[in-house]
Amino acid sequence: MTALLELENVRAGYGSTSVLHGVSLSVLEGQVVSLLGANGAGKTTTLRAITGGVRWTGDIRFAGRSLRRTGTEDVVRRGIAHVPEGRGICTELTVDENLKLGSHLRRDKAEVAKDYDRVFEYFPVLKERRRLSASTLSGGEQQMLALARALLMRPRLMLLDEPSLGLAPIVVRSIFEIIRSINQTSDVAVLLVEQNARIALDLSSSAYVLEVGRVAVHGASAELQDNESVRRSYLGY
Amino acid sequence: MQEFLQLVVSGISTGAIFASLALALVLIYNAMGLVNFAQGEMAMFATFIAYTLVNAGMSFWIAFPVTMVLAFGGGILIQRVVIRPVERAPVLTLVIITLGLATLVNGVAGFLWGYVPRSFASPFSPDSVDLGGVFISYRDLGVIAVSGLVLLAIYLLLQHTTVGLTLRAAAHHPEASRLLGVHVSWMLALGWGLASAVGAVSGMMVAPILLLEPNMMQTIIIYAFAAAVLGGIESPLGAVVGGLLVGVTVNLAGAYIPNAGDLQLAFGLGIIILVLILKPNGLFGRAATRRV
Amino acid sequence: MQRIRTAPPRYWLVLLVVIFFLGFPTVISSFLASEWAQALILAIAIMGLNILVGYSGQLSLGHGAFMAMGAYISAILAHRYKMDYLATVPIAAVVTGVVGFLFGIPSLRLSPLYLALATFALAVVTPSLIKRPADLTGGVQGILIVQPDPPQLASDVFGAVTGTAMTSDQWIYYITLACALILFWLAWNLARRRPGRAMRAIRDGEVAAAASGVNVAGFKTLAFGISAFYAGTAGSLFALSTGFISADTFPVSLSIQLLVGAVVGGLASIPGPLLGAIFAYFLPIGSNQWVPSQTWLPDQITSTVKNAGPAVSYGVILILIMMFAPNGMVGLIRSGYATLDRRLRGAPDPKTGQMPPDPQTV
Repeated sequence: MTALLELENVRAGYGSTSVLHGVSLSVLEGQVVSLLGANGAGKTTTLRAITGGVRWTGDIRFAGRSLRRTGTEDVVRRGIAHVPEGRGICTELTVDENLKLGSHLRRDKAEVAKDYDRVFEYFPVLKERRRLSASTLSGGEQQMLALARALLMRPRLMLLDEPSLGLAPIVVRSIFEIIRSINQTSDVAVLLVEQNARIALDLSSSAYVLEVGRVAVHGASAELQDNESVRRSYLGY
Repeated sequence: MQEFLQLVVSGISTGAIFASLALALVLIYNAMGLVNFAQGEMAMFATFIAYTLVNAGMSFWIAFPVTMVLAFGGGILIQRVVIRPVERAPVLTLVIITLGLATLVNGVAGFLWGYVPRSFASPFSPDSVDLGGVFISYRDLGVIAVSGLVLLAIYLLLQHTTVGLTLRAAAHHPEASRLLGVHVSWMLALGWGLASAVGAVSGMMVAPILLLEPNMMQTIIIYAFAAAVLGGIESPLGAVVGGLLVGVTVNLAGAYIPNAGDLQLAFGLGIIILVLILKPNGLFGRAATRRV
Repeated sequence: MQRIRTAPPRYWLVLLVVIFFLGFPTVISSFLASEWAQALILAIAIMGLNILVGYSGQLSLGHGAFMAMGAYISAILAHRYKMDYLATVPIAAVVTGVVGFLFGIPSLRLSPLYLALATFALAVVTPSLIKRPADLTGGVQGILIVQPDPPQLASDVFGAVTGTAMTSDQWIYYITLACALILFWLAWNLARRRPGRAMRAIRDGEVAAAASGVNVAGFKTLAFGISAFYAGTAGSLFALSTGFISADTFPVSLSIQLLVGAVVGGLASIPGPLLGAIFAYFLPIGSNQWVPSQTWLPDQITSTVKNAGPAVSYGVILILIMMFAPNGMVGLIRSGYATLDRRLRGAPDPKTGQMPPDPQTV
């Protein structure tokens, strides 16, 4: 299988502070990959580099084409949905309008309608609150909205930045179940940034651990889970 | 009482003109947190274009949409050439630039058409209609109808189309919108285009009442500021309501306060200052969240 | 590298400028002296605006209104109450300053954008506000001001140098120069001492300024007061110099002219307002004289260019300066000088460690 997303020796940072010192990783078609590591290791920056939110050097290729000098909007239009830190909900708009923003670039009306049905099946609460302002949603509901919106973009790859952040454990579990189901039914690849390593490794087939801007460890998720020293020193459980 | 009602209707008519210009200000404010001091001058310039078209033999009702389209293009051009390079500059830098733009547009209009005031024929009949003893001029009704239609069209565009949705999203949440594939910078340009087109309506409606000359909008923009501030500078609905309130107030004050004449404009200033001090968010504004 | 802001002033340069302005009227016509007096008056008003915008970071688009106030206070005191005009100048300055201070209190509550909006509205409304109490201000008819004759001593000294007696215009020029010198010296002292530092701190970030113990509200209103004091002085001198004021003497374009001067000269600098004033004052005059002299242009074009020229060039210049040289002429001169100095000393280009002439202020 060919790699859908490939990062090769990517360096990036903000102003004169560099955060990534040469990160290489790859995500295969339809694969779930975890990106783990401590706070400040560069997980979020890696995702932001992919969608052009920070300047980077090295190379990032998506579906065989380099993303060099591609603006955020155009990276997204190639089929990458990025649910950023803080979820990126448009709180000035209604739930429905947020969802429409997800599908606004698509012309395949019939498929969009099907995707809406599917999304409301996953997240019935969003259907109930369609007309309400997105600012009235709880944290968990906002995370659901962000996922739903990303799904409506019908991406080939989803970048999820800490979907568990600030949510109750039971909500986290159901959200991860939905991510698994999304991945299985629509064959979308996922690059998942998480603090909660255990739940992320359960979901993913392969994982990378970042340490101060470099890949410290990588391998199959199951192997990392079984490797006691890796768990102790990097994953903290 | 009849006189009062007549004054209210003609106040609504002038208010509709203020509302169009105020809405233009709100559109740009929402897009980039900036008050466009050149809005009135841009409207004046568009009105001169309409005047030129009508003088060349075009019917007003064709010149009107043509001018709006040209103003739309002009707005986009200005955003691309002048505003975009300084998009990230501090807001006061931008304010000074729009002020420079106002001066420039004023001067170019003076250069092209001179400073001699010209009369701009009204497209509406000078007669009045008798509604139970209240005489209402077709001109007032015409201005209300045209402005009302334009404002309605803008409302529908913003609230019920995909373009309107992406425009609002780009204005309020530029970062999140980018991640959804919205070309934010072009949306800002679109905002300038729309504002310019709506502003042009106010110019074309006011020109038959005043005389057309480069400084024509200098007083109107003050009333439009007052309207936008009164309505809450980020609220399109507020701009319209504010415009109507300012129009009616100024009209009534002009009629019932002896020798008001020149002081009408001071009412505009008074409204601005009172609202800014007493209720800085206006009638419809949310508690100010400062954009960074 | 030495920070330019704290570098000692080049005293010889200041001395040269003062000598130039002292001696200038002895070699130019009385009419030209009167024009230069007006440029100096503009410089005083622009210095006031500079203190407000450049140092304290509050944008006023309506400083013409404060000039109008100073002008009318002096004119009315001199015309109606027969006061000696020169005695009215400090009164006008202080009263306008107090009004400016009071104006600054409600302004504290306004965001920078709203302050710009409100002061712009004030500038537009000023002419109609002046027209209102017509029996006091003379309305559209305006007020004539009797220009004072030069005192014997000044006239004698001037006569000894030039061989001709001093005119009123020349005397007014020297009065203006004296005021300008005092006010620029005061501004320089203000800028380099505590108030100036406090204002710059506020401009660069109110929260941080407040956290380091600066009385934000106090210094912001103080800046307004001082700024209005300068504008009032300028207005008073302006009425004296033109000999006539009316409601239309203070259009909104005057406020724009002040802003152009402040921005072009260079905000948050002491020489900036002088350079900016000379530029903003002589640009329209220059273009008005140059364009008609171009005989190949058709008459109609000449007359429209005469009318529209200043607005077009002010507009273009405001936009270009804000885009490409936000520190104005002073900024350009300073960076040019710094580059030259570096080249001469063979020092490397301190790309990162370089101290810019002054942070961008607006």
